[in-house]
Amino acid sequence: MKTENQKAWFFVLPVLLLVAFNALIPIMTVVNYSVQETFGNNVFFWQGLDWFEQILRSERFQAALGRQFLFTFLILIIEVPLGIIIALSMPRKGPWVPVCLVLMALPMLIPWNVVGAMWNIFTLPKIGLLGYLMNDVLGITYDMTQNPFAAWVTIITMDVWHWTSLVVLLSYAGLVSIPDAYYQAAKIDGASPWKVFRYIQLPKMKTVLTIAILLRFMDSFNIYTEPFVLTGGGPGNSTTLLSIDLVKIALGQFDLGPAAAMSLIYFAITLLVSWLFYTLMTKDDEQ
Amino acid sequence: MKHLLSTLFILLPSTALAQWASVSEPKEEVFSWTAPLWPSFWMAWTPATFALFCGIFGAIALIGLLEGFKLRDGLERRGILGLTTTLGDRLFISLLGSAYIFLAWLGLAGQPVWWPLAISMGWMVFCFWKV
Repeated sequence: MKTENQKAWFFVLPVLLLVAFNALIPIMTVVNYSVQETFGNNVFFWQGLDWFEQILRSERFQAALGRQFLFTFLILIIEVPLGIIIALSMPRKGPWVPVCLVLMALPMLIPWNVVGAMWNIFTLPKIGLLGYLMNDVLGITYDMTQNPFAAWVTIITMDVWHWTSLVVLLSYAGLVSIPDAYYQAAKIDGASPWKVFRYIQLPKMKTVLTIAILLRFMDSFNIYTEPFVLTGGGPGNSTTLLSIDLVKIALGQFDLGPAAAMSLIYFAITLLVSWLFYTLMTKDDEQ
Repeated sequence: MKHLLSTLFILLPSTALAQWASVSEPKEEVFSWTAPLWPSFWMAWTPATFALFCGIFGAIALIGLLEGFKLRDGLERRGILGLTTTLGDRLFISLLGSAYIFLAWLGLAGQPVWWPLAISMGWMVFCFWKV
């Protein structure tokens, strides 16, 4: 149906103003910083595109970007299937529904820095419960403060623990919205559980899964607090993700120009991947 | 020697005076695209970056007006990428693509950026024509 008037714009106006203040003005400032050099005191010198060239060619940036993509890829391939499996195995009716929903929502209610601190204490080799269990009871050497592999396993596990619930709750919302008639029809046709999942449940969950994947992609690609509190980017630089590196450059070294250039590159990547995801996943609906 | 000293004594104040005169002279303001636009403002605007955003917002406003009043649904069509796009979508794709063309060029070849500028213009034409 075609739009008959333009009144809807007035309803969007407050959001537009809010976005202007919290997103557009900072982005414009970052663009200004990215082509200049400053030593503080509000004095800026033109630098052109030097910072972009420097950042794009720096091994430090390339390594952080690689780690960031690896992290996001790993958590997506774990959280999305796991979330769907949990949602499928949750009861649709009965007294256990609210219990399951509350249990699932609990990790998401905990503030990010608290999650980092919790997992830090939980996994420390000497004082943490998991650290003690692995090292002293099971005899498996596990020290996320010394071993990069252990640090990676810990941050991935922490993120899976914290955010799988989001995929679960969204998938569950998609599942309960499927009318019983679909299942009855499938039963009459003698469809196997896999076929029911493939041709009824998955297509019906598609919209919510698109949102879940998009949210998880953007959140995990921009993740900062949890790994910063848990490992501080270490051991060495092994868990220094893009945002941690960015904060180090911007606030630690006060190199505002390179940091601004880096954040614009970071923004461009997030924008492109989100757009690609969204376009590809909604493309079939148009046909 | 005496002669030299006396010459120096005459010359020194005169050079100082000459400098004084040049300091007190108001400097001619030359417009520069890269100088600070409002020096004490924290957003650190320069005419170059200001023009960039004017261009982007101008294009968005123009397309918004066109879609709102003149061309209903922004000339929606299915392009060669298989996507259904409106004018706004095509602007977004061309701007994002241009950003990547510049970044790729800077990362692989470096400055100057005349070539990526030409390629992005071609990309923009392609987007509005075919995508």
